[in-house]
Amino acid sequence: MKAAGTQAETAPRTTARAQPGFLGGAVAIAAKDLRSELRTKEALNASLAFSVVILLLFSFAFDPTAEETRALAGGLLWLVFAFAGALILTRSFARELPNDCLDALIAAPISAPALYLGKAVANWLLLMAVELVSLVVFGIFYNAPWTRRFWPLVGVIALGTWALTVVGTLFSALTVNLRLRELMLPLLVYPVLIPALLAAVQLSGPLALGEPLASDMMVWLRLLAGFDLIFTALALTLAETALVG
Amino acid sequence: MDERNFLYMFYGFLAAWLILAVYVVALAGRERRLQREMENLRRMIEEKQKEAS
Amino acid sequence: MREKMLIAFCIVAAILLAYNLYVMLLVLPDEVSQGPIFRIIFFHVPSAWTAFLGFLAAAVASVLYLVRKDLRYDAFAVAVTEVGLAFAAVTLVTGMIWARIIWGIWWTWDPRLTSMLVCWLLYAGYLMLRHAVEEPTQRARIAAVFSIFASVDVPIVFFSIRWWRTQHPQPVVWGGSMDPAYWNTLFLNWIPLLLLGAAMAGIRLRQERRQRELEALRRMAHAL
Repeated sequence: MKAAGTQAETAPRTTARAQPGFLGGAVAIAAKDLRSELRTKEALNASLAFSVVILLLFSFAFDPTAEETRALAGGLLWLVFAFAGALILTRSFARELPNDCLDALIAAPISAPALYLGKAVANWLLLMAVELVSLVVFGIFYNAPWTRRFWPLVGVIALGTWALTVVGTLFSALTVNLRLRELMLPLLVYPVLIPALLAAVQLSGPLALGEPLASDMMVWLRLLAGFDLIFTALALTLAETALVG
Repeated sequence: MDERNFLYMFYGFLAAWLILAVYVVALAGRERRLQREMENLRRMIEEKQKEAS
Repeated sequence: MREKMLIAFCIVAAILLAYNLYVMLLVLPDEVSQGPIFRIIFFHVPSAWTAFLGFLAAAVASVLYLVRKDLRYDAFAVAVTEVGLAFAAVTLVTGMIWARIIWGIWWTWDPRLTSMLVCWLLYAGYLMLRHAVEEPTQRARIAAVFSIFASVDVPIVFFSIRWWRTQHPQPVVWGGSMDPAYWNTLFLNWIPLLLLGAAMAGIRLRQERRQRELEALRRMAHAL
């Protein structure tokens, strides 16, 4: 349903403003999602609580002070991020279901890719917030000097989280009307994400422990960046199909 | 050791064919289900047509 | 796919297989370092090739569906994905049996096996996704989008896992070159597997068409 032009023509009184451009639309959607989430903090709290619980459980399962556990740091972090992320991502489009908000959004004079991008950016910001808090908790439980390589670590986490968000938001749109949506989303997203998660784990491991990255690790960075680029382009291309058909 | 090697080779061949056979059986099962539904529907339509006439 | 073509495929496949089995088991000598278990490769590798062909065909069919909106492309996609999944399972299991004999362990994180496992999970997810959607057009659309994502992911998965395994080397299920004498049988065994795969996909395709006819009939029955 292409409402972009028709609404302006048939209701001149209410749409005297110009159509929002692509970025304007995306920003508007992102702001809306962030505002709505920050007011209720439902998904944020659940996500945070979940990540702390997982970190705690892992501390019981693997001795946090042992050298071997420190080698698992990267994997542990990204397991936490992936599980916590699933909570936020499922809600992304699911929150639009009550009161037919999703239909209203689709009918709005904003292109599907812009709608998708806005939600993806909002999810990314929310997830980054959860992850940064998780990092602090991780640093405490595991006595890990993650602030030593702060900016590289944040950079890697940003790229990895974008991969998670890009695929997760699109699949959230795809599965929004399915029963068992909370189960289907992680089940579909995680296998697709394996290359990105692999790269993120390899890169975050040393960085979270305050160590520099060896030069042969740069392939992982290129892989992660490449993954982000390819799947962002793919998601933007298929956003309309995923949302509307 | 060589005997186990040989045995596992046959296990391997068996596994390959077993998996494909499982899929064929699944296909056959689906075929049967489709046939049954077709029959039921045709009967239902005939009955309704008889009722209408 | 017409009945006769299906049966023809199966018969040709059976004949070729019989010949190949004869060659494999009685004519070819044992491989020097591995012994008899080596012969599994004649099913392991062609199965992998068939699986990939299936997944590639599914990707193309998915794109075509989104462009043309013809449900027949969707039917083709699910048929070849299912067949691909069956052959991928064969690849995995034969690979594991081989690893058990050669390396003594069932799973070695060999890059190709591991990547194949991820592919299997991806396309099993595709089938699960289809089961969760009832309406045919919606199901076709959602499945097609996921299939495209999965297909774009496959080469990246292979590259990433291979690099991961290069950094932490582990036993590789099959590495080096093979005696040319074996190549012939390998390719020759691919043909019956392909034919069988095509026959199975054909049957599955026919079942999808029958399912659509059923749905049309059901609508008519309820309208009466």
